[in-house]
Amino acid sequence: MRINNFARACLLALACCMSATVIGQEKTGNKEGFALKPGTVKIILMRPVIGVGEQSTGGLYEPNADWTTQARGHLGTALSEAQTQLGNQVMPYEESAGAEGPLVTQYSQLFNAVADSVIEYQFFPGNRLPTKKRDKGFEWAVGPGIAELKSLEGADYALFISTHDEYGSTGRKMLQIVGMLGGIGVTSGVHQGYAGLVDLKTGELVWLNADRQMGGDVRTPEGAQKRVRQLLEGFPGKPVALTTAQP
Amino acid sequence: MAFVLLAELAFSRPAVAKDDFTLAPYVAAYEPSTVDERGVWMLADEGERQLRDSPLRIRVGGLETYLRNVLCKEVGNDRCAGIRIYAVEVPTFNASMMPNGAMQVHSGLLLRARNEAELAAVLGHEFAHFELRHSLYGFKNRRGATDAMAWLTVLGGISNTPVADTNFSLLGSIYQFNRAQETEADLLGLKYLAQSGYPAQSASEVWQALMAEADASALGRKQKVKAKYSAGFFDTHPASLARAYYLATEAGKLPPGGDARAKEYNDAIAPYISRFLAAQMKLNDFGGSEYILSNIAERSGWTGDLLFARGELYRARANPRDLQQASEFYRQAKLAGYAAPELDRNLGLSLLRNGQSDEARIALSAYLAARPDASDAKAITALLAN
Repeated sequence: MRINNFARACLLALACCMSATVIGQEKTGNKEGFALKPGTVKIILMRPVIGVGEQSTGGLYEPNADWTTQARGHLGTALSEAQTQLGNQVMPYEESAGAEGPLVTQYSQLFNAVADSVIEYQFFPGNRLPTKKRDKGFEWAVGPGIAELKSLEGADYALFISTHDEYGSTGRKMLQIVGMLGGIGVTSGVHQGYAGLVDLKTGELVWLNADRQMGGDVRTPEGAQKRVRQLLEGFPGKPVALTTAQP
Repeated sequence: MAFVLLAELAFSRPAVAKDDFTLAPYVAAYEPSTVDERGVWMLADEGERQLRDSPLRIRVGGLETYLRNVLCKEVGNDRCAGIRIYAVEVPTFNASMMPNGAMQVHSGLLLRARNEAELAAVLGHEFAHFELRHSLYGFKNRRGATDAMAWLTVLGGISNTPVADTNFSLLGSIYQFNRAQETEADLLGLKYLAQSGYPAQSASEVWQALMAEADASALGRKQKVKAKYSAGFFDTHPASLARAYYLATEAGKLPPGGDARAKEYNDAIAPYISRFLAAQMKLNDFGGSEYILSNIAERSGWTGDLLFARGELYRARANPRDLQQASEFYRQAKLAGYAAPELDRNLGLSLLRNGQSDEARIALSAYLAARPDASDAKAITALLAN
């Protein structure tokens, strides 16, 4: 059962091996008219979804526990620094707070599903649903039920962060070089991430930023800072020192 | 030449020692050490967080404790100390093992197992996957084969050499490796089963029953009954027939064992039966569901739960004759002590659809009286008004 879809994944990996086109994508969505006054809000940082590893020669994800632990630490530090600059108070979600664990996990999953839908159906021109055209604004939510969660009480917003990094292995890079010599495009490395802010009183998604080609090596403190700057691009509570941050 | 070497390299990796029952000594609180193993454990830890908090998990009662007790009895307390078992409401015959010691047991398995020994046979198989670190070796195998496939694709593209056949064989080798792991886990699991005093033949009987159900399922769908004698190219598991055969043969060499503990098993599952049945009846598998129902009824007699589930099954197929049958099963279920008012609603709907309005009205009114605040109360009221 573990590799039921494996044939499909293999073919996909091989297909990706051959395609090098990058499709134009919008990266940020903001609820219309929404602005966050700097220095006024409490933000709860949900447990970030972080995965760091290598990309094997054949394109498989090789998870690396050390790198992921490093990234978790560095990204956390960089995030609280960036928010302190904004004057916002960021608290990490306390997992041990009460028996709401399963419900909070479901909201996190719901957020991921909503974020995926935004990226899929609104951020790519040409693939927008009729109700999600540009002039229809930015209207997404996880539902008002989130306001009833006791463990999130006292906070105004919940910040969700997700990053996934696969650094090209030596074999993958060799394959890329050999492929280049023969005129075959092979991509190496995957660096995706997104961040979103949910209003804890209404459940509305007020801001989402997603990027499928992110910069910054999350395994180092400096790289993590760069990644966080990119993740927070367009954050309603400006200004982070974005002008200095060119990817 | 380089292609051949590469291909051979990839083929030589899935070398699994068969028939080797010697186990590495048990290590308490084992921690993975290599980069690869720590990586797959990390992924599993994240997966287990989701599983732990999953809405599908059956938290009520002591079901998960019971399952874990069965495993501990089978593999011994020291080995089972590293295992967490999660029971989930998924109506398929399955269980799975994560590399970090988290085991998932589907409700479909619990509905089908006929005694504790059959359950233990599956739990032992899953535990063997853990003990033998199959997730790790499976990952390494997939990586090796896809690495070779990627090189073949690029080099073949450059040199204009057809490589599709070799790539196809490499892909097949991944599935072959997986089937070898399954057989290995079957045989080690069988050893645990026999050692713990359960009847060793139970493992084979699991697969025999599953084949019979597959036949019933195919008949119900008006499909040809297909007996698969050996695994296909893309099969992840050996054919059920092959498993039943080699498990029976191997069990013959082991101590036969004693009590299958059918009563203890039925007592432990009884509180969940109606929930498991409800999930099964929604699968649109008339033949398979009938097979399961009549099998349980053979052991316990037609209880209210079973009759109600049978009514649901017939009502869902909804031919006039099915609705007539369904109404009869609902009535019998009521006589057998099935008390939930939803029975009246479903009886009423079956009767109404077949034009027996008077009796239908009585049943629907009874439902409304018992559940005035039900989410479908307005719809039922509207039906009554017509």
